[in-house]
Parts: sequence; structure tokens; C-alpha cells
Amino acid sequence: MNLYDFILKRIKAIQEKTDAEGPITNISASSVLTAEITLISTILLAVSMLRLVNKSLMIVAVLLVLFTAILAMPLMPRIKRELNDSLAYMMFYMILALAIIITLFYWGSLNV
Amino acid sequence: MDLLIPLMVIIPITCALFLNLLYKKDRTVKTIAILAALTLPALPILANYGLHYFGGYAPLANNTIPNTSLPPLITGTALNVFHPAITYSFQSAQKLFVFILGLVALLAIFISLYETRRPSGVYAYMMFMGVAAVTAILLTDDIFNLYVFFEIAALATVGMVLVSQIEGNYETALKYMIMGNIAGPLLLLGIALLLGVTGNVNITDIIYALKNGLVNPHSPVVLMACGLIVFGWLYGSGLPPFHTIKSGMYSKALPHGAALMQAFSVFIFVAMGIIILRIFSYLPFSKLVILGVSLVAMILGITMAIQQTDIKRMIGFLAVGELGYIGIGIGLGTTFGITAGLFQAVNEALLTALVFIGFGTVLYQTGISDTRELGGLMLKNPMVALVVLLSGFALAGIPPFNAFQSKLLLIQSSVQAGLPELGVIMILLSIVTFMTFMKAFHAVYMRPMPIDLEIKNKKIPNATIISMLVLLTVCLIIGLFPQLAIGYLQPLAASLAGGVP
Repeated sequence: MNLYDFILKRIKAIQEKTDAEGPITNISASSVLTAEITLISTILLAVSMLRLVNKSLMIVAVLLVLFTAILAMPLMPRIKRELNDSLAYMMFYMILALAIIITLFYWGSLNV
Repeated sequence: MDLLIPLMVIIPITCALFLNLLYKKDRTVKTIAILAALTLPALPILANYGLHYFGGYAPLANNTIPNTSLPPLITGTALNVFHPAITYSFQSAQKLFVFILGLVALLAIFISLYETRRPSGVYAYMMFMGVAAVTAILLTDDIFNLYVFFEIAALATVGMVLVSQIEGNYETALKYMIMGNIAGPLLLLGIALLLGVTGNVNITDIIYALKNGLVNPHSPVVLMACGLIVFGWLYGSGLPPFHTIKSGMYSKALPHGAALMQAFSVFIFVAMGIIILRIFSYLPFSKLVILGVSLVAMILGITMAIQQTDIKRMIGFLAVGELGYIGIGIGLGTTFGITAGLFQAVNEALLTALVFIGFGTVLYQTGISDTRELGGLMLKNPMVALVVLLSGFALAGIPPFNAFQSKLLLIQSSVQAGLPELGVIMILLSIVTFMTFMKAFHAVYMRPMPIDLEIKNKKIPNATIISMLVLLTVCLIIGLFPQLAIGYLQPLAASLAGGVP
């Protein structure tokens, strides 16, 4: 099974779980594939900026992200499912973001 | 003091209130709305640079008449330089921002009056009130005044969605309000904490208090205030985690309304981002958070956009993604980076408005925004299709349009700041933006027309076509002569960067 078929199969499985409307077309599959590759490559590039903190940390983080991404692929349909219009999901991520920001500014500025 | 400075806010507010009284008097609404809308881009051109003190209460140090009766306790301390009045600051960057906001508002109002056969006073009220609020946010040097207009802008945005009569608009607007009911008070709490420790709501005075040791800048209260203000900034501009609801809001508004709403988001993003940098740039995490959030917005916005089948939702996500470019520039913290970020803000406000209005013609003609049900529209309107295609080129950063110049500057500034990875990410995401746009363009214009596709309105209003051409021309002019815009932005960028080139 090549990568395209593998991703298509996973998209179908996730789409069945979420009761998403409409058939899976070539356009939708290639869109997800593009988004997937973009997501992984941009995250890897972003993580590589950890070189400014510590080079060893950067190597570990890049390898970790790479293996996680390969094991959890495809990520994009899952992200799309998480970032839906449900108020409950949006509230959850809002609270999570607030917690991260306050921790960064409050704890981070006093302890780092 | 230049009296035209407060008029930039007072005229749209007065006009909004007056138009609301003229409900159902369509011809009068049209005339007054067009006249008032023309003043929106005109006032910033005519106004002189300077400060405006509401009530005329300038700081004592600026008072030309020496007041010898005051004790040294006042004249010899920080009280001498504090600003007792709500202060509006109008400098070169504000001139350009208010002009661009006014131009987008003028065109959006112009289109709304001609696309809507019975122009409602209420809809025009919402548009003018939103413009007044965002103009005030750009001009004010008072953080509480900023909060008041921040809430007015949020309410005006909700109002514009509520009157759109698009299916699901009430639900989306309600969700946005609920989330605003959490983020707004948290922003206010952050402002209250700053007021509590500094005893002031004037931003210049707060900075003075923090820099001159009147307040401990690492006090936990100040740090908490910073976190809460940053959270409010995320809500106001639609950055993650608010990008889903913001793109939903764009998709539930009329296209010209969405064009104006995204301009609101861009300028709230810029205004609050500048304030965060001005007050909290001494904190090591402030620029890092701006960079991190912007990066997440870019990646999530653009990767979510390519998966959408609804054109308005797609542009909504692209708009969020493009905000990330602005944030990268601001977050770099160098003069070059901030200039590039602010330049990108100007370009994005114009370009996204153009794309919303361009694809809005599809919605006007067919009433459909799902790309799976569209096709073949190039045969119906080849000229409009060409303008939409060019707007997509511009959005992706293809020369000779304006976004090419700003994205190039952003990439150069990230390399100069020692972060070439950011430059590579921006190039990669620009390519995906182009792909996203071409996917939608192909589906709407180039694919064979579905048999059951019904064209409800054959003729696109001239107002819409004129507005698109005006926006495209401005984008082309700025693209060919970028110094026209950059010259206005450099002084602010230099002052924010604090001498870092």
C-alpha cells in the first residue's frame, strides 16, 4: 500500500467516525495530503529553531516530532475534527491557550 | 491640536447614530452613508500629525503658561508629565492605517448600498460604528479607552453577521459573543491590574512608570496583566484559539461585510500588538509569544484553508493565516522586521478585502459558496474572473503586487534576525496559499458548469466592479512603489524596535 492509499484509507475512517458529508474526491484527498505535508514540514522547521536554545535539544525535538508525525499520520483530519465549530471544543482550546499564556508570562518570567 | 483627529472617530459614530434613526428611508440612507463614507479616507489625508487631548487637558510639562502656583510635589515629580486627558496620537503610521481602513470601509459601504436593494439603516449603523471603534483603537493612547472601543468593535462585528440573513448566522454570532464574554472581561481585568499598580490608564504614562522604577516591572501583577492583555489580543484579532470562530464569522457575513470585518481584525491586531510591544517588550517572553502565536496562526490558518469547500470559509482561514505574517514581523522586534510586518498589515487589509469582494460576486450571482456545487463562471464574467485571479496572485505574493514586496521584506528581515527557518516557512506557506486559491478558482471558474447551477443575478453591480478595480489598482501601485507605504511606517517601527536595526 503506497502512502497515498494509506492516507486515503485513514481519511475515510476518520470521515466515517465524524459523519462528515460528501464523498472523498481526488481534490479533497490531495488537499489533505498537501496540508499534511505542509504541517509536518513547517513544524519541523519551527522546531529546528530550538538550535538557538540548545543544539542537542533541537536534534532530540526534531527526531521526536518526526517519529510522532510518522506514527500518528494523517494528522490533518484529526486537527480538522478538533478545530470544528462546536462551542465545547472552542471553549476547551480557549482555556488551554489562556493557561499556556499565563504560565509563560507569570511563571516563565519569574523563574526562567 | 488638530480638530480633525477626533473627527475621524466622531463623524462615523454620529453618522451611525443618525442612520439608525432613518430606518426604511432608503434614499436618504444611501446619500448620507456615501457622503460620510467619503470622509473616512479623506480625513486622515487632511489631518496634521499631532496629539489630541480630550477636554484640552495637556500634561503640565507641556503647558505653555507656567503655573507657579502648583507645589513642587506636583511640578517636580512624575505627575508633571502624566496625561490627565484621554489622548489620541496621530502620526505617520496611523495616517496610513486609518486611510486604508477608511478606503476599505468606503468601498464596503458603497457595495452594500448597491447590492442591497433596500439598504437598511441598521446595517450601515453597524459598519460605521465598527469603523469608528477600530479608528479609535488605532489612535488612542489610553488603554481603557481602547477597551471600550474594542468591545464596540466586537459588538459591531456581531451585528454585521446578525443582519446578513445567511443560514446559521445567529448561532455563529452567539458563539462569538459567548467567547467574547470571556475574553473581553479578561482583557479588562488585565487593564485593571495595570491601573492598580501604575495608577494610570495612559499607555505612555504606564511605560514611564515601568521604565523609571515607579513600579516593579517584574511584579506578578504586571506579569498577569500582560498575559491577560495578550489573551484579549488573540480574541480581538482572531488568532488561535479564536481562529475557528473568526473564520466562521467571516463565512456568515455578507462578502463586503466580511471584507470590512477582516480589516477590523488586521488593525486591531496591529494596534494591540504595538501596545503589547510598547509596554511589555522588556519581558523575554513577549516577543516569543507574539512569534509563537503568529507561527501557529500561519500554519493552522493556511493548512485548514486548503481543506475547505466553502469559499468564504476558505478565505476566512487564509485571512487568519495572513495575520501570522504580520505577527512574525512584529515579533522579530527589529526595525526592519516591524516595518515589514506593518507593511504586510496594510497589504493584507487591502488584499483580503479584494478577495472577499471578488468571490462575493459568485455568492451574489448564484447564492452558493460551496465549491462542489459551482463551476464555469468564467464564461459568464471573464473580466471579473480575471480580477479575482489577479487578487489571488497578489494574496500569494506574486510580483508586481504589494504582498510580494512585504513578504520579501519579511523573509529578508527573518534572515537578518538570524531566523532563516521563519523565511522558509513563509515561502512554503505562500506556495500553499497559492495552491489553495487556485483550487478554489478552478472549482468556481474553470470547471464545467454544473447542469443544475442556477444564475439568480446575471449582472454584477457596477459598484462592486469599481470597488474591485480600485483595490486592485491600489495593490498594484503599492507593489510598484512600496516606499509610498513604507515611508509612513518606518518611524513607528524604529521607535518600537528601540534602536535595533
